Amino acid sequence: MMRNYRNFGSISRRAVMVGGAAAVATRAFGAQGSSALGTPESPVQLRVISDAAYGIAWQASMVPEFNKLYPNIKVTIDPVPYAELLAKIMLDATASQPTYDVIIVDDPWTPQVARTGALLDIRKETAAWTDPGYDWDDFNAAPLEATQWNGVQYGVPLRSNMLLMFVNKTLYKKAGLPEPTPDLTWDQYLEQAPKLVQDTNGDGTIDAWAIDTYFKRDALTPTIWQAILNANGGSLLDKNNKPAFNNEIGVKALKTHIALLKYAPPGGVSHGYSEALQSFRQGQVATSFMWGSVYRNSAVDPKTTTLKPEEVGLQVMPVGSAMAGAHRGIASGTIHAKSPNKQAAWGLLQWFSSKQGEKWHSNALGGFPARKSTLASTPESEWLSPVFKALQQGYDTIEKGKMWRLRHPKSDAVQQVLADAVAAAISGQATAEAALQEAAVKVEKILR
Amino acid sequence: MSSLKAAPVRTWHSRTERLTDFVSRWAFMSPAGLILLAMLAYPILYTFEISFSELDLSTFTATEWVGWDNYAEVLHDTRFWASLKVTGVYLLLSLPLQIVLGFGIAYLVNVEWAGRGVIRALFLIPMVVAPVVAGGVWRMMLDPLYGITNYVLGFVGLGPYDWLGDPWLAMLTVVIIDTWRWTPFVVLIGTAAIMALPRDIFEAAELDGANWWAKLWSITIPLLLPMIAATFIVRWLGAVKMFDIALAATNGGPGASTQVINLFIYEEAFRSLKFAESAAMAVIVLVGTMVLTAIFLRGSRMLEEMH
Repeated sequence: MMRNYRNFGSISRRAVMVGGAAAVATRAFGAQGSSALGTPESPVQLRVISDAAYGIAWQASMVPEFNKLYPNIKVTIDPVPYAELLAKIMLDATASQPTYDVIIVDDPWTPQVARTGALLDIRKETAAWTDPGYDWDDFNAAPLEATQWNGVQYGVPLRSNMLLMFVNKTLYKKAGLPEPTPDLTWDQYLEQAPKLVQDTNGDGTIDAWAIDTYFKRDALTPTIWQAILNANGGSLLDKNNKPAFNNEIGVKALKTHIALLKYAPPGGVSHGYSEALQSFRQGQVATSFMWGSVYRNSAVDPKTTTLKPEEVGLQVMPVGSAMAGAHRGIASGTIHAKSPNKQAAWGLLQWFSSKQGEKWHSNALGGFPARKSTLASTPESEWLSPVFKALQQGYDTIEKGKMWRLRHPKSDAVQQVLADAVAAAISGQATAEAALQEAAVKVEKILR
Repeated sequence: MSSLKAAPVRTWHSRTERLTDFVSRWAFMSPAGLILLAMLAYPILYTFEISFSELDLSTFTATEWVGWDNYAEVLHDTRFWASLKVTGVYLLLSLPLQIVLGFGIAYLVNVEWAGRGVIRALFLIPMVVAPVVAGGVWRMMLDPLYGITNYVLGFVGLGPYDWLGDPWLAMLTVVIIDTWRWTPFVVLIGTAAIMALPRDIFEAAELDGANWWAKLWSITIPLLLPMIAATFIVRWLGAVKMFDIALAATNGGPGASTQVINLFIYEEAFRSLKFAESAAMAVIVLVGTMVLTAIFLRGSRMLEEMH
């Protein structure tokens, strides 16, 4: 009996040691032997739905990198155009047997999707599988808050985007203007804009303009107006969730947005994301208010841009009467509450949002990090240093001015109403005052 | 006597035969009928149900009966009426243009000439190009900065025009793209109709000394009128559903100047996630389309009777 006990004790100690080592390996290296994370004979199949703007690159580059650590998790990313993404997410998320384990949601969508009960309380439910080195407090507050709703954390920031001001320094120089700094005000910007509409090669034809950004009827066009509104101290809603934009500040912000059109390329009224991006990348506009994450393809990659990193500046949008401007647009990873592969899904999201994953994402794909430690570090690529600086400025500005879209289960309906109003005013079909008045009535009705 | 006795037997026998025939017919038809009912009627009935209910997005089912509330909301929405007006303008411009161009081209290509078959085959290309691709390509061609259209017009001293930025030109752009896409369909029908016209009437007219114009005005057009009316109805039913071209080329802009009703319904449903209100709009449009189609069909029958 004694011998048996000793033997048992000996085996037990060994088992404890082996088990402990396995547990450490599981957390640190992904537990390649764990069935929840797949085995060579029976790999886990993860399905992810994401915006096509980055989903294709993630499938081509991020998934192979992830599989170096987790070879038994097969990831398939379905890229969907942004305009159709929310509807597809909602239709799938509410199905009895949803297709997707991981849902990449845009900034304002968390309340809508979470309300259906489709999202996992990611911080609580994955605690047992989270690496001790995964530092939640290291995230900047603004990107992490994008997937918080009613006190629950539903996701982690994967692509921390924000509206910033892109600057073509060469065109500023040709116009004889100083390079803008983050202290540039809206008044100064609009004063300089006429000089940035110029004939750069002296053939008598205007070939460069001051600005290109969102002007067309698009759900993201109001974000430009809202950034100006917030910079002037205005907000979309008041404390009672009633529209607060239908006032002097709101009208002034919309008139500023409309005024930009005078200095945009011909046909600017029908320009949005793609057109504005092309104008900037082809060196036709001196500035663009655009999502910062396009920086790499606009300033670095010669396959996609005519500009070079030293020509392109990135900073917060001009300063209004209250502060500088920016606007948050975080793409976050969430896990479906009904996913049978929650641990594997968290394996993917945890790695991609970890310090290691963020650094890889920044260096390989130019993805914007959300972690303070990543932004404070020295990036591998030289061009990323000024970008990191601009990002930190952006996060601080966004947090200070609460610069994000409405966070509400009906945020998309509100965004559509704002898109109609802003587009009507920009195209001259309504005055700024009338457009905002009509939008305020509709928004109040939607939120009632 | 025997013949008197045999009559009820025959009647009974023929009744049994008729019943067997009736049952066997329906037995063969019922699977297809049930599938048709499930595929066609159920979505329509479900749309009706949603339009009178509040839709729970977490289950995608109609929860609370709200009566006419969704309809009242839609009818009080100025954007709904504005998009109906835009649809009306688009239909008024594009349908007559497509019918006149389609039958005109059909008349011209009906003349015997070498290479006619190749031209007819080429006409099919716009119809098979995906609308989103067509919208995108036209968008590039009409771009005020890089597009070939303004470049070419510049040679004859026209332009530059902001095709997608000016509300009226944007509507014209949608009409042009839609006409480019669907006129070949009208040409195909027109060609078949012209080829089916009775030759003897034309021969008789020639003997009477009728010239080209007299034959066209007094014989061809009157004989083609029922077919023109039928083609108009087919195109009307297609055009009233159009939204893909507007989505790809202008996204309803600038402002809401090209936001046709189906684009508005689509956006309200799949972008604003207001499925119940969108269902109400769809029902209103369905009823309106059916009423107008009935009027057009009546007109078409009258034309057939006249000729």
